[in-house]
Amino acid sequence: MFRRFWLPLLLGVLASPLRGQDTLVDRLRIRADSLLRTWQQAVTIANLADSLERERATSGRDTIAVGALRIITNPSPLPLRQAAALAWPAIESLYGSAAADLAERPYLIRAADPDSSARRVVLHVGVEVPWDLDLRATTMLLLTTVPVAPPDRPLGEWLTGGLRPAIHPREDRTAVYLELVTAPSQATRGCFLGDIARCIDALGLGDTAHLLERWYPSAAERRAIVSQSFADFFNHGDNVQPFRECVAGRDTSCTALLRSLPPGALPKPLTEAARVSLVRDALRLGGRDAYRRLLRDPETAIGDRLAQAAGVGVDSLVAGWRNAALAARPAPVALPWWAIGVAVGWVTVFAGCGLSSSRWRA
Amino acid sequence: MAMFKALLYSQWKWARIIIVLGTLAGFALPALSLQGAARADRGALQAQDLLHAVQSWGTLYPLLAAALGLLVAITTWAPDHRGRHVQALTLPVPRWRYVLLRFAAGMTLLAAPILAVLMGAVLAAVTATIPAGLQAYPFALAMRFALAVLIAYAVFFAISAGTARTAGIILGAIATVVVVQLVAGIANLQLDLVSTMQVVLLHGLGPLAVFTGRWMLVDV
Repeated sequence: MFRRFWLPLLLGVLASPLRGQDTLVDRLRIRADSLLRTWQQAVTIANLADSLERERATSGRDTIAVGALRIITNPSPLPLRQAAALAWPAIESLYGSAAADLAERPYLIRAADPDSSARRVVLHVGVEVPWDLDLRATTMLLLTTVPVAPPDRPLGEWLTGGLRPAIHPREDRTAVYLELVTAPSQATRGCFLGDIARCIDALGLGDTAHLLERWYPSAAERRAIVSQSFADFFNHGDNVQPFRECVAGRDTSCTALLRSLPPGALPKPLTEAARVSLVRDALRLGGRDAYRRLLRDPETAIGDRLAQAAGVGVDSLVAGWRNAALAARPAPVALPWWAIGVAVGWVTVFAGCGLSSSRWRA
Repeated sequence: MAMFKALLYSQWKWARIIIVLGTLAGFALPALSLQGAARADRGALQAQDLLHAVQSWGTLYPLLAAALGLLVAITTWAPDHRGRHVQALTLPVPRWRYVLLRFAAGMTLLAAPILAVLMGAVLAAVTATIPAGLQAYPFALAMRFALAVLIAYAVFFAISAGTARTAGIILGAIATVVVVQLVAGIANLQLDLVSTMQVVLLHGLGPLAVFTGRWMLVDV
């Protein structure tokens, strides 16, 4: 009798916190749903505002079509058609068949009088440029603002920026060469010396666990990063003591500080320029559909996506990229022979001036 | 030859302090620019720091070259100017030959700092631990230094050899350029004489082009 009465009571008492927990979860779920609805409404309104703004920006404008490029602009002396004719081959060679999608994503360019101080209607879409830009500057504008859809989040985060056609391919590769030689990272140094696995590490294409140890394996590198790249960031508040210990040479403090950084904040041994050049190589190797293959499966690891896009293994892709970077070594500092000849010529000329001075004339 | 030796000796007496100091500085500069590169604890990861140090010290080479050219050219002519060229006029040689011998003697004296830079650069490059990917260019640096010294010397030799009237004409020409540039600026004219002169003098085939560029003992 006693047990029959108290057992349900005991169970009821024990279950009451769980019931309370259920209530809390329900309440949070309701809040989350409400937040989601609000966010969806905000997105809808933003899209509507963007659509209306685009309508306002494009009404009464001309459309220039070159290849799949569409440029909506106001009448002006800006050499947009000629610039588009120059830019289109570069854009198409990068994006391949995906460049056809640009017909649906026009440039919105407003050419403005650079000498006018008259107030203009402010537009929140497209770009406004002075109409006295020359052909070269206008082509640059088109190449650097290609209205291609942004890449998916993993690819965008890996690239740390956008993918644009190469304007100075040789200089871009030379910059990668300089990074390979000068970056203060053993991974990069190993890559320069021919270790492809180190290249894959330095590019962030391999195993992303223990990046700190992979990128900066020595204590000296970690100390250098903390003391040079993050001196202002760590030399505050609770981090002052470990920062000082790190600078004094205590590696555990350096490692702890670098591990406390938010994800993605650890300096990459090879910058986005190197990564972009690798993607360009993959797209060049992969042919016209390479860009579509690159974007096909955002869930796949970046290395595999690049390999799929290029149609070769990631090792081969990275090896080819490294060889191309090494081939773009900048010109050495040695004087060319013609410069030596010119200098000797000037010495002779000035010596001749000394000889023919009016002081010596009879 | 005897005349050349006599002139060389006299110029050495006048310019020996400049030559000795220039030689010491030329020998020390490469070693200073690579200081620390030979340390065992530097490791191979400090390529960027090494390049920065070499680049910073590299600015001193053209300054040293210009200073040597200027001072040696001035000391070459200063005693003659002081003596109103009486001694030169009494010598049994044509005037052009006398000037040529003076020029050659000055150039011979300047060989000492040039060789010092070469030896210092070779020594520094051999003893330093240079990271893979970087290379030492001691001969290229010494060649650049030699040409810069000779051009500076030739320019100032020509100016020193000139009369006060010649110097006035040169200064007047420079002043004219500055005044025209100022007037053009006031009149809002698109005229940039200074930049044009800079390009003409310092780039491509310009006489001072060798002073610009990368004075790097170690580079990629």
